[in-house]
Amino acid sequence: MNYDASLWLVFILIGLATTLPRAGFIVLGSRVALPSVLQRALRYAPAAALAAIVAPDVLVVGGTVEVFNPKLAAAGAAVAAAALSRNPWLPFIAGMGVLLGVRHMLGG
Amino acid sequence: MPSSGHLFPASFLAGAREGFVTFLPLSVGLVPWALVMGMAMTSAGFTPLQAMGMNIIVFAGTAQLGTLPLIAGEAPLWLIVATALALNLRFVIFSAAIAPGFRGIGTPGRWLAGHLLTDGVFATCLDRMLHTDDPHWRLGYYLAPAVWSWALWQLFALLGIHAAGFIPRQWSLEFMATIALIVLLVPMARVRPMLVAAVVGGASATLLRDMPLRLGIVVAICAGIAAGFAAEHWEHKGRQP
Repeated sequence: MNYDASLWLVFILIGLATTLPRAGFIVLGSRVALPSVLQRALRYAPAAALAAIVAPDVLVVGGTVEVFNPKLAAAGAAVAAAALSRNPWLPFIAGMGVLLGVRHMLGG
Repeated sequence: MPSSGHLFPASFLAGAREGFVTFLPLSVGLVPWALVMGMAMTSAGFTPLQAMGMNIIVFAGTAQLGTLPLIAGEAPLWLIVATALALNLRFVIFSAAIAPGFRGIGTPGRWLAGHLLTDGVFATCLDRMLHTDDPHWRLGYYLAPAVWSWALWQLFALLGIHAAGFIPRQWSLEFMATIALIVLLVPMARVRPMLVAAVVGGASATLLRDMPLRLGIVVAICAGIAAGFAAEHWEHKGRQP
């Protein structure tokens, strides 16, 4: 497919729709202070967001929730490695090892 | 300002070193994502110049991957921009949460920091940014992982653009990005209310996965925050006589 010069306009608009939400509160800083209750509540944002991104990825296979699937087993191995070991590379080795190993055993 | 006369104050470099060392192991999760991103942009029909242009102007994995099919399908401009906004909504929450960590830092530094904000940098830096006094140290601690992420992202996207077709898809290298997010999540979830926030956030996102424009993720984050906050409240009440 061929794109014309308007593709760059699309990039710039997507770029604005990306940078403005990220930079907004950081740049405004104390000029727009959130209530302290809200700030305390926002401490839970990272845990909630990370789980919200990870959970569907490892639980859903082809549109339906499957409790037995290679990705979930791999995620379990990564969680165990991260919780029990201080080696920062181990979760990646364990997770990818289990993912490819289980797939291989299932013949995929 | 620095008394040493060097370009960067010593505490900036100390913060940068510590931020980099903390973030380095997690940053391997970016590599497969960036490779996949480069390959996806090539598959969508972009020239290498267009692909790198998008990668540099946008710098957002999910917003890039999410809008690619719309661009390739010649969707209306408003829908493309609305989709990008929806995919970036969680960063409004992140930006508000980490904003107090930029006290004492000037506007150009804040714009740069905002542009470079990612899931991994946010999760790595939030705690230390809020609880350290020295603004130079904080800026270093934030910018080292952020600039490193940017450089890795550009370099491996460029590799992906040129390697499209060489890496077998069944290696599932993109799963390393999921593992990186798990590595960030596990230490947080050791505190009970955080665990509650994660379980509710994860369950909600799974149940709401069919909402349009991935808005289910935004709803799930809000539900997780509310649940964690409520759990903190009850735990506090339970301890008092």
